[in-house]
Amino acid sequence: MLDPAELQAKLQLLNDAYAAQLPEKFRQIEQAGESLRQAVWDEEGFQILHRLVHSLSGSGKTFGFSALSEAARALENELKLIGEAKQVLDDAQRDRIGHLLRELECSASQRDSAVVLQSESIATSTPSPTANFSGRICVVEDNLEMADELQAHLSYFGYEVSVFLTLDDFRRAMPRHSNDVVLMDVNFPEDSLGGIHVMTELQRGRDVPLPVIFLSAHNGLDVRLGAVRAGGVAYLNKPVNIGILVDKLDAMTSTQVSAAYRVLIVDDSASLASYYAEMLKQAGMIVRVVNDPLEVLGPLFDFSPDLILVDMYMPGCTGTELAQVIRQIDEFISIPIVFLSAETDLGKQLSAVGFGGDDFLTKPIEAEHLVASVTSRIKRSLVLRSYMVRDSLTGLLNHTAIKDRLAHELARAKRQGKSLAFAMLDIDHFKQVNDAYGHPVGDRVIKSLSRLLKQRLRENDLVGRYGGEEFAVILADADAAAAMKVLDSIREDFSRLRHLAEDQEFSTSFSCGIADNSNFGEGSKLTDAADKALYKAKHAGRNRILIAG
Amino acid sequence: MEDRLKCVLYVEDEPDIQVVARLALEVLGGFTVEICSSGEEAMVRAPEFKPQLILLDVMMPGMDGPTTLERLRVLPQFSATPVVFMTAKVQPDEVARYKALGAVDVIPKPFDPMTLAGKVQSIWERCHA
Repeated sequence: MLDPAELQAKLQLLNDAYAAQLPEKFRQIEQAGESLRQAVWDEEGFQILHRLVHSLSGSGKTFGFSALSEAARALENELKLIGEAKQVLDDAQRDRIGHLLRELECSASQRDSAVVLQSESIATSTPSPTANFSGRICVVEDNLEMADELQAHLSYFGYEVSVFLTLDDFRRAMPRHSNDVVLMDVNFPEDSLGGIHVMTELQRGRDVPLPVIFLSAHNGLDVRLGAVRAGGVAYLNKPVNIGILVDKLDAMTSTQVSAAYRVLIVDDSASLASYYAEMLKQAGMIVRVVNDPLEVLGPLFDFSPDLILVDMYMPGCTGTELAQVIRQIDEFISIPIVFLSAETDLGKQLSAVGFGGDDFLTKPIEAEHLVASVTSRIKRSLVLRSYMVRDSLTGLLNHTAIKDRLAHELARAKRQGKSLAFAMLDIDHFKQVNDAYGHPVGDRVIKSLSRLLKQRLRENDLVGRYGGEEFAVILADADAAAAMKVLDSIREDFSRLRHLAEDQEFSTSFSCGIADNSNFGEGSKLTDAADKALYKAKHAGRNRILIAG
Repeated sequence: MEDRLKCVLYVEDEPDIQVVARLALEVLGGFTVEICSSGEEAMVRAPEFKPQLILLDVMMPGMDGPTTLERLRVLPQFSATPVVFMTAKVQPDEVARYKALGAVDVIPKPFDPMTLAGKVQSIWERCHA
């Protein structure tokens, strides 16, 4: 199958070739049009004119000239009337034809850019300042101690940091850092608003502004206004609350990180299925195709789709039967199922929806319509699902959800003969944090650990909030030793994090127990083992990780 | 049972349309496509190509679409082959007239190259439902 981008390029070439022929076609039309100005009826000349116009009306839109098609159609309708009468034109008719001919030529300048835009409008979003984010942060801060602290803390959260102690250093190094996020101090020794002035100067030559967060001890509106004008997307007062800063950075840089939607297509027609698959892939989705409906269960579990597109009529099993089967599996009770069919009978559509389908798309489906329906279905279901499975404070999986996923992941690891590690974490002396600094500070500590885990673990690792200050982590394709390695570096960094409560700083730590599926193949045994190891770690003095033996 | 559509014959006199239709049907539809530039050519080449479905432009110089259909129907191997007219004229009464001539459907021109294969496939599936 031709790559969709290549196909787009080829169609574009054809469109250009068509466009190049248009002047010659207009010349021919004009020449043939002369026949209508003669004093006697010229049937042959008229037929040539009619054919030329008909050809434009039937081809323009195909090559991205919709307006041309329409103008030609209008002219063709007029010509049809004249062709039936077969009489020399009167003045009014001549004027009308002349007008329509001129409109025809004008319409050629309106190109649809349809072929290209159709996919671009789906696939790309508006460029945001952080669209090409490098993952690096430039800290521009003249206070060495402060700069070091920012660098250390941000690196715990997975950000790479470059420090510049003077504005001149930053200005010189800027070209190498044009995709970074800038953390800019406002006040410098040579200029109390130096940070704002330098950013204003640097933003001037740029199409897409550099994303910059200003750090300042000033709180006046004039300074804040200056910061906004210099491209400031956030303005934080000193002393900087690292938790808030990381929240801002995550929010700014996470837009591109969101995982691609996964769609499973079940359609016995291989060609049509791959056609739909291409459309969805162009919109950035990950697609798996199953041609035999009876083979759907394997991919359903392995691929974990966000939505299933099911053809209505297939040999062996109908779409509605398949939807009922899928709905009887607990994990898929809420997955959106969309039927595809040439069925236009509303009654039949409704009964299909009654049998567990969520929506009904009638073939043939325009690419944009397909992508839009699939996207909105998935979005809605993800929001709903997140209410069901996410912890509201941290956004991590909740207790039930992480246990469900553990059973699921264990089964998958077993099928694929891969290892899987499970870890239980508990923040040490958390009650003391709450008692000493209050619950809002305690919540922030919980959030900082959850963020650290999410940022430092791999994307396919699963993190859940198991209880108050207790977390659970599922590491796919890792044994206890590998899990130990990554979690221990997180443990070290977490213990070095300094949390801010009013004017006091404090730090805390966590203990952790790990078990893997080589010794504990069953969900409850695995969680018990990890829990026992965690208990031992606490008793051995906390701030450590033990592997279940 | 010819359950999968593979071979499509398209009879069309316009070279531009031929190129884009071939691309759309082969790449997006995965079909094997044969193009004939006239009804006369189709009469000669259809028997050896053995199309499962035929797309006919209505307005062609020489033998037009309806005449080509009539002649094809005389050949025993094409007595029941689904034929689709491609035409700019899609008034309901005209569609009815084309269907009365034995076409299974009408695809309006100008067509969108991105959806042509999907339309052809769904017409095929309807014929074999």
